[in-house]
Amino acid sequence: MVFIMHAFVIARLKIIFWLLLFSSTVHAQTFEVASAQISKIGNGYVLNAEIKYPLTPRVLEAIVNGVPIIFEQEFELVKSTYLLGNYWQWNETLWSADIRHELRYHALSQQYVLQAIDTNSQRNFPTLSVALQALGQIKDLTLPPEYLEDTENLTLQLRSGIDLYALPTPMRPGALISSKWQLTSPWVDAQWD
Amino acid sequence: MGLDLIKHLRTGVTPYVLLGISLLALAYLLSAATQDSSRLNDLFLLIFGLGIAILALLIGILGRSLFRLYRDFKTNKEGARLTLRLVSLFALLILVSTTIVYSFSIHFLHRGINSWFDVKVEQALNDSLELSRTAFGIRMRTLLRQTRMMTGLLSELPSSDLNHNIRELTQLSGAIELSLWTMGGQLITTSFENPDLIIPSRPNEAIFHQLEQQEDYIGLDPDHDNLQLRAAVRLPIKKANQEERFLQVIFPVNAQLSSLGKTVQTAYTDYKELSYLRKPLITVFTLTLSLIVLLTLLASIWFAIWISRRIVEPLQELAAGTQAVASGNYNTKLRSASGHDEIGFLVRSFNQMTQRLTQARHATQNSHRQLEQQTNYLSAVLSSLSSGVITIDNERQLRTANLASSKILHVNLQQRLESVIDKLGENHPHVRPLTQLIEHHLTHGDDWHQQVELQHKKGLQSLMCRGTLLPNNAGWVIVFDDVTTLLQAQRNAAWGEVAKRLAHEIKNPLTPIQLSADRLQHKYLPLLPEDQTHTLTKLTGTIISQVEAMKEMVNDFSDYARNPGLQLQPQAIGQLIKEVLALYQSNPNHQFTLLNSTEDITLNLDSTRIRQVLHNLFKNAIEASEEAQLAVDIILSYHTLDLDGHQYLEITLSDHGPGIPDDMVNTLFEPYATNKTKGTGLGLAIVKKIIEEHHGQVWAENTEPSGACIIIRLPLEDAIP
Repeated sequence: MVFIMHAFVIARLKIIFWLLLFSSTVHAQTFEVASAQISKIGNGYVLNAEIKYPLTPRVLEAIVNGVPIIFEQEFELVKSTYLLGNYWQWNETLWSADIRHELRYHALSQQYVLQAIDTNSQRNFPTLSVALQALGQIKDLTLPPEYLEDTENLTLQLRSGIDLYALPTPMRPGALISSKWQLTSPWVDAQWD
Repeated sequence: MGLDLIKHLRTGVTPYVLLGISLLALAYLLSAATQDSSRLNDLFLLIFGLGIAILALLIGILGRSLFRLYRDFKTNKEGARLTLRLVSLFALLILVSTTIVYSFSIHFLHRGINSWFDVKVEQALNDSLELSRTAFGIRMRTLLRQTRMMTGLLSELPSSDLNHNIRELTQLSGAIELSLWTMGGQLITTSFENPDLIIPSRPNEAIFHQLEQQEDYIGLDPDHDNLQLRAAVRLPIKKANQEERFLQVIFPVNAQLSSLGKTVQTAYTDYKELSYLRKPLITVFTLTLSLIVLLTLLASIWFAIWISRRIVEPLQELAAGTQAVASGNYNTKLRSASGHDEIGFLVRSFNQMTQRLTQARHATQNSHRQLEQQTNYLSAVLSSLSSGVITIDNERQLRTANLASSKILHVNLQQRLESVIDKLGENHPHVRPLTQLIEHHLTHGDDWHQQVELQHKKGLQSLMCRGTLLPNNAGWVIVFDDVTTLLQAQRNAAWGEVAKRLAHEIKNPLTPIQLSADRLQHKYLPLLPEDQTHTLTKLTGTIISQVEAMKEMVNDFSDYARNPGLQLQPQAIGQLIKEVLALYQSNPNHQFTLLNSTEDITLNLDSTRIRQVLHNLFKNAIEASEEAQLAVDIILSYHTLDLDGHQYLEITLSDHGPGIPDDMVNTLFEPYATNKTKGTGLGLAIVKKIIEEHHGQVWAENTEPSGACIIIRLPLEDAIP
């Protein structure tokens, strides 16, 4: 009897443990690079990628309340040199780029305004999901040809996240320590066609 | 040196100053970081973390300080109580004041931030936004209608005329841009009001989606700083198999409306954002304020502990110093307090006090030493005096007595100090006359001067006493001298004078008397009848014999009075005694015994006169025994004697006669001090004279059970080895 009780308690503890483990991962659902492909067009290479931006309620609340959010898309072209077979390699970042978009809600027009910081080009969307979808679509991004003469051992990795330091001052400390704002996706290697 | 520096940094004022400066810096950084336009914005978390770290450090330091304080209190260390009380007071004060300031600050912070927002303002903004939308809505409906008309027009036209017509339509409608798209998203044709532009604004997916739902689209389109109106309407399909198309028209908004709309939009967004940021703003401010308040609080308490210790430290030293002084250590000197406050004054006063105390003690010790020296000096003087000196207090107790007094009275007075004078008389009967005399004069209370006779074994002792009242009525000092010898000498001198006169006055007529009597007998004897011759012979014989006796007596007197120089020669005393004894051994009734005759002692003496001494003594002893009709049994002994570091020859002569009557013991050696029927009464007086001429002593004692003992003591300084 005692033994059975004991086993029961252990089983319950195990369940709680697994629940705790998964709840943390479920909660921290980050952005995700769904696909990334490099295609050769003529002499050059272009990147097509799709990034998913599942926003947490905290971020959504901020957007709805008119807080502009800066999304970052980072690209790195890494040259790997194998020194000891596959055991040890030397990675050299040849090129890196950072594309930034500002997303904000325009109350008067009830539009979500997506603005590329670098090019200052602006697109408007009536719904947030459409805006995020548009943000996540990277189409025919031209890669710098000077580094792409030899694609051997060359990797393009990309990731995306929110620039927390661009948030208004009062929000920043909270956002920096809150998991609800830590949405940066892991680095993903683009695939060569 | 490095260690010294670290120690100094740890113990001095430096850590507090450093802490104060770092706290101020931290407060400045925190306040700067919470401001919107500061560069330190991004470092807020870092600075906040630093603040937390300093807070933890402070908690540690404060905990340590409090623990030490508690430990000191538990072990009852000096000053711990006062320190604790001061710290408690300070801490209470700090806590109360800080709490009040903190709660008011928080209150004002909340109220201040919340006061930026107002329901009415919010409603007004919402309404103005709504109003703007309505205003734009009217224009939008007009434009939508206009666009529909354009699509109706365009749908009638053949494909070849589209470009031209669209350009015309653009000019007519006042639109910024007209573009014709297929539903697949392909641009058919476009026209711009501004000829510089060539690429049309592509409609987004949502518009496509809406058009696919057979709904026309009209909406406000923010384009950077301007507002535009975008309309998208499907073209009616006139022919079968015709591709579905739609027209997108972008209209400008008139400048005033655009500017107004923009203002409303900006104000609304700003207000909304601010309202949204209110909570985090309050949180950040509250956190910052709390951190600074906590830091200030802990630092203040720490400082309170430090300052309390600093205040209490001199007091603590003062307490320890007072205890030291109380336990007799007058040399206690406190580290001079540098402060010019009351505590510094107290410490300086304490030091002055201990200095004075030390001086006073030194003075006391000096005077004590002087007193002691004086006492020693006095006692030395007293002890070297031959007179006896005693003091008696008002309780009639003996306070002091010098050595001579003990010697004169034959009582160890040093052991009798503090005993009442009556008791002394009771315990030692022979000094009772003196104590009675003292008693008598004590009651009369005046200086006195009187002679007293004491009776003891060696005979009568005459003391000359003087009593003097001590100053301040503190008792009496009594000085007495043994005048026995002096009196005896006076008597002896008187007798000598008498003897000399007697010898001189009487001796001269004696010889003519004797010669006359002799002639009388020779001349008248033959002339007288036979029966009367006997009478004459008897009478003249009596005269002659009596004159002879008188002559002897006068000779004795002249012997006594004579004072010839001694003929000192080395002489063995045993030999001398034996020679004298030999003359007496012819009588078988006389028994003489000489003890200690094994060794002989030689000394300088006048043998003739010592012979006379021995003869006189023997004769005296024999006569005394015979007169009492007792057996003549005389024991002689002689031996050396060590007394007070001097060597003496002691000759004792004891008999078994009747002894000496008590009243005669003292005057035995004086002329005519005799109870015998025979003799001149000068025998023992001559003995004494001769012995004294030899610087010796002679006295008599009665022995038990009967008999007397004559003791002669001659100094052996000049003894011949």
